[in-house]
Amino acid sequence: MGMFKTSEEFEKVIVGFFQLVADTPLIADKLLQSKMVIRFKYSDPDLTVVVDCAGDKALVKPHDTTTQAIVEMTMSADIAHRFWFGMVNLTKALTRKEMVAKGPIPKVLKLLPAIKPSYAMYPQYLDANGFEQYNITKAYKPPTA
Amino acid sequence: MLPEFFEFYNPTKVVYEAGVATDLKPELDLIGITKYFIVSDHIINDLGLVQKVADGLVDAGFEVTGKYLDVAQDARLKDVKKCADIVKASGAEGIISIGGGSVIDTAKAVNILFSVGGDLVDDYSGAHTLTKPLNPHVVIPTTAGTGSEVTMIAVIYDEENKEKLAFPDKFLLPNLAVLDPEMTISLPPKMTAATGMDALTHAVEAYVGPQASPISDAFAVGAIELIMKNLVTATRTGDDVDARGSMLIASTMAGISFTHSMCGCIHGMAHATGGLYRVPHGIANGIFLPFGLEYNFEEIKEKLARLAPVMGEDTSGLSEDEAARLAIAAIRKLSKQLNELGALPIRLRDVGVPEDGLVAIAEGAINDGTSFYNPREMDEEELLPYIQNAY
Repeated sequence: MGMFKTSEEFEKVIVGFFQLVADTPLIADKLLQSKMVIRFKYSDPDLTVVVDCAGDKALVKPHDTTTQAIVEMTMSADIAHRFWFGMVNLTKALTRKEMVAKGPIPKVLKLLPAIKPSYAMYPQYLDANGFEQYNITKAYKPPTA
Repeated sequence: MLPEFFEFYNPTKVVYEAGVATDLKPELDLIGITKYFIVSDHIINDLGLVQKVADGLVDAGFEVTGKYLDVAQDARLKDVKKCADIVKASGAEGIISIGGGSVIDTAKAVNILFSVGGDLVDDYSGAHTLTKPLNPHVVIPTTAGTGSEVTMIAVIYDEENKEKLAFPDKFLLPNLAVLDPEMTISLPPKMTAATGMDALTHAVEAYVGPQASPISDAFAVGAIELIMKNLVTATRTGDDVDARGSMLIASTMAGISFTHSMCGCIHGMAHATGGLYRVPHGIANGIFLPFGLEYNFEEIKEKLARLAPVMGEDTSGLSEDEAARLAIAAIRKLSKQLNELGALPIRLRDVGVPEDGLVAIAEGAINDGTSFYNPREMDEEELLPYIQNAY
């Protein structure tokens, strides 16, 4: 059993956060430049979310199974959660198949610098929106440089 | 300092011997199939190298079910589809690729369609999307640069969408890499120098990169030492079998290193320059190598300093900064020697890059997938002066 008990609870957390990112010009502007459309397929609990940056505004679409995605990322909800804290080594996750990426990977890698500011936003978002129980940063000790 | 995590996976058997490409029976018997299809290009075929290998196979009791020689300078999607159909129809059980990076990468991608079918882009774009081993693939490199004989990636050019597609997957690692220096003897000096600088760039970027591990470092250091000692000789005296052999081994070691720890901004700048101005990959890497190291200097100087003695420089009494700069100077010295042989351009202006195109190179490098693996965070404005210096 993962950290999130139900799809509904995970949806509230992750979709709310994606919406916050989509409304943050510092990040959203770069996502819109990329024209990227990503489908996230989560397990334990199950949830599908599309982030569609093909238009003038970044759209967050939960349960969307019809939009044609450029890239599809499959992972557990726990890996996704840790990713947004900046705690997931992407190379490691891809190598060990903790994340499976289908589509043009270089285009995803290019976006990583753009979304970097969101790592600091995630714990703040959790605390500010009644999801403090999911804020794992206090227990996390980053590797020493 | 040990990395938090690393993985080392290298199932490719490597054999080395002058002439071994025509005497592969012991290795092929262990693989256990008898019908091979050859993938190569017309240049290699015209040099007689394809026939040489094919004759060796037939003499040893293997069947050559066919040959595909139309691989272009860049591995192309349309070749992959066409070749895969021919391989399937031929009744082959495995593939032997004979050539440089384009031939080997084409054969890797062909092997996906040949072994498991499907559509290359729709079904296999991404990272590690294959779920089972492919048919046997034996690689005989004819250049000493790409390292593709031991890497888990195939890069294929999609002409329709004008983009290079990368297919990283463990199942793309060939079964056997055949390092035969006689297969590289006919490589002209310019190709020898350019591919050699490509191998050097693989090894150096892998060594100083953030994904490096003690194991990838060992291969990188071994490669760098061999290249610094042998590239000039292999370029100047093409029939020197020892120098050719050393460069082949170095290229393979560099390939093993960078397939684990990846490459950074130097490859990013080279990819952009190749895409915009058709500058060959090895030449672009050779031009950018010292400038990219200078861009990353503060982040990599500790490891760079350790490379200076490997490159034959005396660092006794020098500070870390001084030793690191000596390593960069050693690379410049090597490039200058190759340049004096008429084999390697060392300035962007000498390879048809316009001065007003440098901003576009910086932009392209920032947007390249390799920027994720660069030791220093990539910034277009900060990178541009180093590209201008390379002009």
